[in-house]
Amino acid sequence: MRVSSLFRRVPSVLMAWRNLGRSRVRTALATLGIVIGVVAIASLGMAGAALQQQATADLEGIANEVQITVGEDNDAGGIEPEDVDDIRSLSTGAEVVPEQSNHTTLASRDGQEMPVSVTGVTEANVLYDGADGELPDRLRSGALLTDETADQLGLEPGDPIEFDGQLYRLEGLIETEQGFRFVNNELVLPPEALSSQTAYDTVTVVADDGDEAQQIASAINERFNEPDDEQLRVESFADTQDELDSFMTTLNLALLGIGSISLIVASVAILNVMLMSTIERRGEIGVLRAVGIRRGEVLRTILIEALLIGVLGGLLGALCSLAVGLLIFRLLVGDAMAVFGWASLQYLVYGFAFAVVASVLSGLYPAWKAANDRPVDALRG
Amino acid sequence: MSVIELESVSKRYETGGEVVDALDCVDFAAARGEMVTVIGPSGSGKSTMLNMIGLLDTPTDGRVRLDRQDVTDCTADELTEQRRSTIGFVFQDFHLLPMLSATENVELPSMWDTSVDRRERAETLLRRVGLGDRLEHTPDELSGGQRQRVAIARSLINEPDILLADEPTGNLDQETGRTILEELTRLKTDEDVAIVSVTHDEQMLEYADRVVRIVDGVIE
Repeated sequence: MRVSSLFRRVPSVLMAWRNLGRSRVRTALATLGIVIGVVAIASLGMAGAALQQQATADLEGIANEVQITVGEDNDAGGIEPEDVDDIRSLSTGAEVVPEQSNHTTLASRDGQEMPVSVTGVTEANVLYDGADGELPDRLRSGALLTDETADQLGLEPGDPIEFDGQLYRLEGLIETEQGFRFVNNELVLPPEALSSQTAYDTVTVVADDGDEAQQIASAINERFNEPDDEQLRVESFADTQDELDSFMTTLNLALLGIGSISLIVASVAILNVMLMSTIERRGEIGVLRAVGIRRGEVLRTILIEALLIGVLGGLLGALCSLAVGLLIFRLLVGDAMAVFGWASLQYLVYGFAFAVVASVLSGLYPAWKAANDRPVDALRG
Repeated sequence: MSVIELESVSKRYETGGEVVDALDCVDFAAARGEMVTVIGPSGSGKSTMLNMIGLLDTPTDGRVRLDRQDVTDCTADELTEQRRSTIGFVFQDFHLLPMLSATENVELPSMWDTSVDRRERAETLLRRVGLGDRLEHTPDELSGGQRQRVAIARSLINEPDILLADEPTGNLDQETGRTILEELTRLKTDEDVAIVSVTHDEQMLEYADRVVRIVDGVIE
């Protein structure tokens, strides 16, 4: 009764609400259609957001790096120390880490052998993460090894490692990394260990952020390369991030497109439900028109019926989608609570908005048809 | 003084390439405080005539005057306004909305007019037709006679000048029909309305001030 007295101020809502209550099963089924549509849209959108978040997290930490290797038109076969100086002067404010690399085979105490790549670098802590704790600032006489390799060979910090006839003490372990930056089976030594090579194989520039990294990359490109003469290959991971973002946007649109199909199907169901219900109530609507209810008032009432189905279905759908979202983020990102961010929650809003708009659009034709039926015809039923 | 007037009203339908004269040059008038009963065989044009008087349909020829004002050429929306303020309807099968209470059904014609609260008047009308203890009942909790009383109360909510009743006793037993007719007779003077009813019910003729017989679209 209390609700009714509140509704009295908005008679169209009162009438619409009561009409929906008359055929509860039909209303529930129409609402269910909308719920499924919203869940499809919102959970696909959130799955996209979760994928993007995971991919961005993988890229994070290297998006600000520029990697310079030998270009295809470079006859020297390496990056000369003068080139490294040039790169340093172009990379003000950023850290420049030249590396030399080679290959070798390490043997365990029980004779097991394992091929590893050897990198000669002083500022190892800039390029690698320690498996447990910080790595030494400057690598002078010791060696670093990826933790999985050390584990497989049964090596521990303090153990000796031989390379090129010289013994190095294992000073620390590097975290093995999968994903975009692949660090595995790697032995890191001071540059002197590879002193037979004068040139460097790789120079890594670590900037403050992706934008700066891109600026440095283009400055180096301009300095060393011509359109048909590539002396140095300059790769910035910020490009990768951009490409990934654009791919993710496309993927998300495709997912949302698939999701919206189900909502379109649901709105066709609403159209059908509303049409059936107005045809059934034709005589009743005729009475309304006969006793002086205006066409606009009939139209509004039926539109509000559709709107209520949309709002109800949209809200229930958003709730269900949130539950699905928690599950998706738990599975893809590993943290269910990460769903509570605008990047993923926006799809709940889109799903809800789409549900409401689709429902009202579906109600338009039945409402218009009922409102414009001549009362004398409608009364005949 | 006539509150509703039909002047040489004709209504022609075309069905299956054939032109049917549902009404042929009909003249009719009704005044406040008068009960006019229209009788005639099925298909004689009674209902068409009631639709003309009720401004639910427009004539092919002739004029319709409401309170001396010519409403023949009014638009659909203008006719809706006229019906809302001047005409009350009572139908054979009551046509109450099942999801509304008796009081809400009575209020229905004025429900969208939120500037006035008609609840009190609706309750007064229901009490007057003897349903003071059924205010919150829904139609399915009421008997046929009670439903028709609710419909009569509804037709009076906007203080109309004319009350149109299409077979008001058609779905009721004789005894109940009689009480409804007594109710209408009382209301025509109390509310000062013109009552025009269409019927097959012989007993209704006893209550009529005037009987109009129509055959093949012509008043005899």
